[in-house]
Amino acid sequence: MSAIHVDRITHRYGRRTLYRDLSFRVPEGRVVALLGKNGVGKTTLIRLLMGFLRPSGGSCRVLGEDSHDLSPATRARIGLLLEGHLTYDFMSIEQIERFHRPFYPGWRRELYYDLVDRLGLPYSHRIGNMSCGQRSQVVLGLIFAQNPELMILDDYSMGLDAGYRRLFLDYLQDYLNQGGKTVFVTSHVVQDMESLVDEVIFLQRGGELLQMDLADFRRDYRCYAFEREGTEPPRPDALIRSVDTHGGQPRLYAFAERDGVEKHLTEHWPGVTLGEELAMTLEDAFIGLTGKY
Amino acid sequence: MLGAIILKEWLKIRWVWGAALLVHLGMLVYLLLAMRHQFQVEHSEMIWYWAFELRRLLYTQIQYLPALTGAVIAAAQFGPEMLGGRFRLSLHLPVRGDLLVWCWVGFGALMGGLLALLDGAGLYWIISIWFPREAAESALLTALPWLLGGWVAYFGATLALLEPSRARRPVYAGLTLAFLALLDQGHGYQEYDRIMPQLTGLALLLLPAVILPAHRYRHRG
Repeated sequence: MSAIHVDRITHRYGRRTLYRDLSFRVPEGRVVALLGKNGVGKTTLIRLLMGFLRPSGGSCRVLGEDSHDLSPATRARIGLLLEGHLTYDFMSIEQIERFHRPFYPGWRRELYYDLVDRLGLPYSHRIGNMSCGQRSQVVLGLIFAQNPELMILDDYSMGLDAGYRRLFLDYLQDYLNQGGKTVFVTSHVVQDMESLVDEVIFLQRGGELLQMDLADFRRDYRCYAFEREGTEPPRPDALIRSVDTHGGQPRLYAFAERDGVEKHLTEHWPGVTLGEELAMTLEDAFIGLTGKY
Repeated sequence: MLGAIILKEWLKIRWVWGAALLVHLGMLVYLLLAMRHQFQVEHSEMIWYWAFELRRLLYTQIQYLPALTGAVIAAAQFGPEMLGGRFRLSLHLPVRGDLLVWCWVGFGALMGGLLALLDGAGLYWIISIWFPREAAESALLTALPWLLGGWVAYFGATLALLEPSRARRPVYAGLTLAFLALLDQGHGYQEYDRIMPQLTGLALLLLPAVILPAHRYRHRG
């Protein structure tokens, strides 16, 4: 069963086609990260999932319902973090909790106050007078207190310092330990995903999409140093995923083991010598897949 | 849930509504003092002649107050919802979107209505100090289009603020101003008596109309 099922959606902004026939699933009980560079349409995708935009074609289903026609009961099962930790700035810490509480039967007030107490602010402090990081703590506290079945978090790490990011990940782990919880997350801090997610979806400009188990991606996606003798560097093709010639050490990235890459280079790029395989963090791999800019 | 919805609306408009209450009370006090001043510097017969022979209105100070208040309450309620797309937060709440919007405008209209009630009661009381009951009733009927202007301005501003399409916003604003101009054509006593039921019926259509921009906000492409 999928918590989210995106089926062949197409979306356009004016004449620009953001995606065409984009499809993926987020299985129930899994943590799935949507990764992509700025401007590939991650936030637009979340707007489509929550029914705030209507796709030009295809369909999105969230918890079994059409994303454009989510019933109130289903919306109560979804914790939604909008980009920029959007919230009601005119409310205070106490007022915003009092506002949200009656809407959610499983409300866990203690989780909210446990998180916001760490801010050391009086409960009468207005959210509009908080820093971006403080505001994000309040908003994430509200989502945890809601205790939803599905969390959709658009760039949760924006404005959070390293300590609070860790605290958030601990809270998220406790939330997941309850079982049956699904998280769909986007973030610019790719390294946090390493310990958090089960699957990754890489979204690229033009709507190209790659979805994999994180463990498979970490095992299969390789980075190799290379040297060239007066010839052009290799270019991406059916086997070579990307090439980075900027910086000190030229690198190429591929979903292939050393023997396969060596054979491929000999056939197609005879002037290029494959060097050692380089260790990668998830962030290195992400950049290797999507490019630096 | 209704309590939570009302709490949010109250938090948004409490300062503006409090300020509006002071302004309305201030204007009624001003009207009272102006009327008393007139009766002190002029003979009663002369004021009677102005009012009932020349048909000059003696309480125009409060004529535009309801419309201004309606627009300001709408801005206080729906400005914060539209800034940065916060309307999406409300649309994600586990409540039917149309009921939510009707709760919002119901609360806003009620708070504006309380001020209109204050204006009407104050006007009736002030006029009845110096004039017979019939004149006080006539003053209320004369002020009805002004009070209806408050309703029109509130709902017109709400429509324009909630509307996601930039092209439609000036259309709503233009229609609202045209309706307000229609309510501002009279310059004497009870000139709208015969047309008020129709104008009120027309103004009531604004109530279901506010659902349309909310619907378009969610279902835009």
